[in-house]
Formats: sequence, C-alpha cells, structure tokens
Amino acid sequence: MKQIEGVMAQTNAPKGVDPDNLFFVQVDPTKCEACGTCEEHCATGAIQAINEEGIHQVVDPAACMNCGQCLVNCPYDAIYEGVSYVDEIFEKLKDPNTIVVSMPAPAVRYGLGECFGKATGTYVGGQMHAALRQLGFNYIWDNEFAADVTIMEEGTELIQRVKEQGQKDARPLPQFTSCCPGWIKFAETFYPDLLPNLSSCKSPIGMLGPLAKTYGAEETHTPAQKIYTVSIMPCIAKKYEGMRPEMADSGFRDIDATIDTRELAYMIKTAGIDFNSLPSQGPDPILGDSTGAATIFGNSGGVMEAALRLAYEVLSGEKLNNPDIKVVRTHEGINTADVKVPHFGTVKVAVASGLKNAAKLCDEVRAGKSPYHFIEIMTCPGGCVNGGGQPVDPDIRASLFRSTVAQINKRFRARRVGA
Amino acid sequence: MKLNRRGFIKVCGMMAGYAVLGANLTREAVAATMDFVGLRQKSVYDADAHIYKVRKSQDNPMVKKLYDHKEGFLHDGPCGHMSHHLLHTHYVDRSARVKVLKEKGYKFNL
Ligand code: SF4
Ligand code: SF4
Repeated sequence: MKQIEGVMAQTNAPKGVDPDNLFFVQVDPTKCEACGTCEEHCATGAIQAINEEGIHQVVDPAACMNCGQCLVNCPYDAIYEGVSYVDEIFEKLKDPNTIVVSMPAPAVRYGLGECFGKATGTYVGGQMHAALRQLGFNYIWDNEFAADVTIMEEGTELIQRVKEQGQKDARPLPQFTSCCPGWIKFAETFYPDLLPNLSSCKSPIGMLGPLAKTYGAEETHTPAQKIYTVSIMPCIAKKYEGMRPEMADSGFRDIDATIDTRELAYMIKTAGIDFNSLPSQGPDPILGDSTGAATIFGNSGGVMEAALRLAYEVLSGEKLNNPDIKVVRTHEGINTADVKVPHFGTVKVAVASGLKNAAKLCDEVRAGKSPYHFIEIMTCPGGCVNGGGQPVDPDIRASLFRSTVAQINKRFRARRVGA
Repeated sequence: MKLNRRGFIKVCGMMAGYAVLGANLTREAVAATMDFVGLRQKSVYDADAHIYKVRKSQDNPMVKKLYDHKEGFLHDGPCGHMSHHLLHTHYVDRSARVKVLKEKGYKFNL
C-alpha cells in the first residue's frame, strides 16, 4: 500500500486478469467508522454494512461501477484503491526500449494544480504537458485530441440514427453517450435491454489507445510493439475500462496502464519536479492538438454541447457563429433542452449527472416514453471534473467529517430521547 | 442506516468535541462539494472560451488531417470501415452476476 495524495492504493499492476473480479475500490475495515456516508453516495448499493457493527465493504465487484464516489466522500479516509500502475510506469519510463506515450483526459488539467497548492479548478494544461515531458514520456499525446475524434464519430452516428428512423433495421433513439465507463458498466449490468441505444463509439481514451499504436506508430516510425500507452484520468472506472479484453483492436493491448489525477501528482512529486515553476508547453502534434469542444468533455453537458456544435452545422448546412450552447450545461441532476436547428427542426436532448438520475432516464426509455434524440450520462456529480480520481480537497473532507458527526449526533440524541 | 454498537462507542468519544456544531451541516457539506464542482466547471468553460483558439471538433486541423479524403488515415470518414474496426465497440450483458447475488439474498438498489 502507498499513500497517494491522501488516498491509500495497492500498487500492483494486474496483467491478464479478468477486471470483473477485481475490487477497484475497497474499505479498510480498521479505518471504517461505520458512518454510512459511502452508502448514501453509491447508486447501486454495492457498498453496504457487512456486520452488526456497521463496518462497510464493497460486497462484490459485479455490483460496483468503480466510480469512486464512495471513496471521495468517505470522511474517514477509509476507502482505498485496489489497482495502481504507478510503479510499473516508473519502470517503463526508465527502460530505453519502451516508448511511453501520455494520454491525459480533459478534466485532469482542471484538478492537477490543486495538488500543488493552486486554487480549485485552476487550468494547468501547459504545465501538465511540460511535467509529462520532464517525467520522460516520449510522446506527449493528449486525450483531448481523441475527444474531438469522438465527436466526429458519435455526432455522425447520431445523425445517421436520426436519418434512418422508419427504415427497417434502424438503430433506436435516443442515442446514449458512451464515454463514461461507470455509466457503461451500469447500463450493461442493470439495463442490458437498452444496449442497442448506446452509441457504439468507444470513449475518447478507447479511441486514442488504438490510434496511438496504429496511426501514431506509423507517423512517428515507431514499432507498435514498443509503445506503452498510459491513460491519465480523473476517474477510477477508467482503470476497469482499460483492462476490458476487447480493447485490443490495434493488435496489441490498446491501453497498457491507467492512472488518475492523484497518481499523476504523486509521480510528479516523487520525481522531484517543481511543478509550479514549469513553463507552459504544448502537446506533440498528430495526436495532441485539441479544441474547446474537447476540453468541455470534463463537464456534465460538455459532450452534448460539443456534439451539438457538430450536429448543428451538419444538419443545417450553416455555420454556427456562437459555439456556446449554454442550455445543456449541467451542474447537478437532470437537464433537458430543445435545440432548434435551421432546415432540420428540433433536436431534443437530456443530460444526466449521477447514476440515480441516469436510472430515471433509462426507465423512461424502457417504458417507450422518452422523447429525446440524444442523452448524455455522466456518473459523477457535475461530470469528470468531480471524478473519483480527482484530488480530494482537505476542506471538503473536513466539512464532510463535520456533517457526518452532526448527523450521528442528531440520531444519537433522537435515540436517547426515545429510549 | 441504523446506528450500532461500534458506531456508538466512537460517536460518544467524538460528541464531546463536536456537540457545539449545528445540524445544518449536511446541507453545508453538499453545498461545499457543489461549489467545488462549480469552480472546476467554470474554469473549463473559461478555457473553452479564452484559451482554445479552435472551438469546434470539425475545425481541428489534426482531425481534418486524420479524415482527409485522399491521404488521411481514416480517409473513408467518420463511422467508416477503419473507424468501425478501431474506434467502435460492442457491449456485454452483465446482469447475470448481480442476479445470482440477489438470489443469494444480497440487496442492491436496482
Ligand atoms: S464512509 Fe467511510 S467510514 Fe463511513 S461507513 Fe463508508 S467506509 Fe466506513
Ligand atoms: S465505486 Fe461507486 S459503485 Fe462502487 S461502491 Fe463506490 S460508489 Fe458504489
């Protein structure tokens, strides 16, 4: 076990094992204070009291979506990560025969700075690229580029689905987004009948892995078998996604290792890099350049807005002069909007943040009552920026702690009065 | 959730120090977390509007190069043949294991 930015992690790098049998998060029973906070944050009920004492455990990986919301909300720091690749990545970075490729997600650059004392949400994209270079990554490729590619694929798929309605063998509407791995496992586990509604597009990282080992290898004249791809995410569920057996379309493992924002901060600190004095640098070309549409993938409603920036232009044949489509921006809960597209009509969309909200929209689709064309789902409140792999703010933990204690006090008093 | 013995023992110890705190703190904690998300979200939209020069995926020069009709690696376009091979996937019905757990008496929310 290692302490990584306030969270414990088992530093193993599982290879060739079935990710369905791994606990990506688990409770340390010696630290659990039986407060039950984790249970309130878990949409599936995978984490629950296992004995009279109220000690909690994730009871089975099959019911856990690996989102880590229990972990970031535990006031006692009792939940650890079960899988961490940091040690293996350090070894690969030292090995002259391995070409190590970085693939950071959009939201990482809005959380990483917090580990180095910067204000909440500070954008540190340029410093992040510089830090990855100093760590010794051979190619500074960026998952934001793949987010742009995702929009091309997923937007095109949506337009195809809309156009093919009424034909036989038409794929159903609404189309659900497919970039959030917690949501994907949730749909596969609890709504398997809705799988035809899921976009067949891989997530951005699911696309960047195989692109790196085919297109990237070709463009840089690098033998693909030497490439080791590192996915850097605000998310724990991405570790599960990277290990899915089907993610091997490049002819190799598409994603060799996955770490989260906290683990990247840990690696930068361990390497002795002075993050705050780094100059701002860009990514490497080919698979590095990105747009505003890609960076907003980190927010709830962002994938929707980015897709609409494409769909609007394709469906109307006109230029979208103001790319801000603010109606779909979502802070919490469910947000719905009618987007008017000239020469086409109205595109009806919904955005849900949190799996409990996702379930409501899924039940509607199941009942045949969903009026939407396109639904975006993110497992974490507000989107990836609040993912289970983002830095845990000490003030938030303190306030969670205070609120938990207050709750327990209230229950305690109520019980005493009644007793 | 029901408060049990072990919880009680710990709570009694903590109560002395925290009895002064009010009960509105749950709301405060939720609000604090959402503020925190709000700050990160705001920063994302600020970067989209002010830092990124190109705002739409279809205008990214590297994306255009990738999908170039003649020379592009994905020259048959989005959702084309190569895209389907590398960039699309299929899903697996994973409901069976949870069903078995429920039959064994485990309770889940769904
Ligand atoms: S939130 Fe933490 S301390 Fe509370 S029951 Fe869950 S694991 Fe235990
Ligand atoms: S990781 Fe998510 S799904 Fe798994 S137990 Fe924690 S909150 Fe529940």
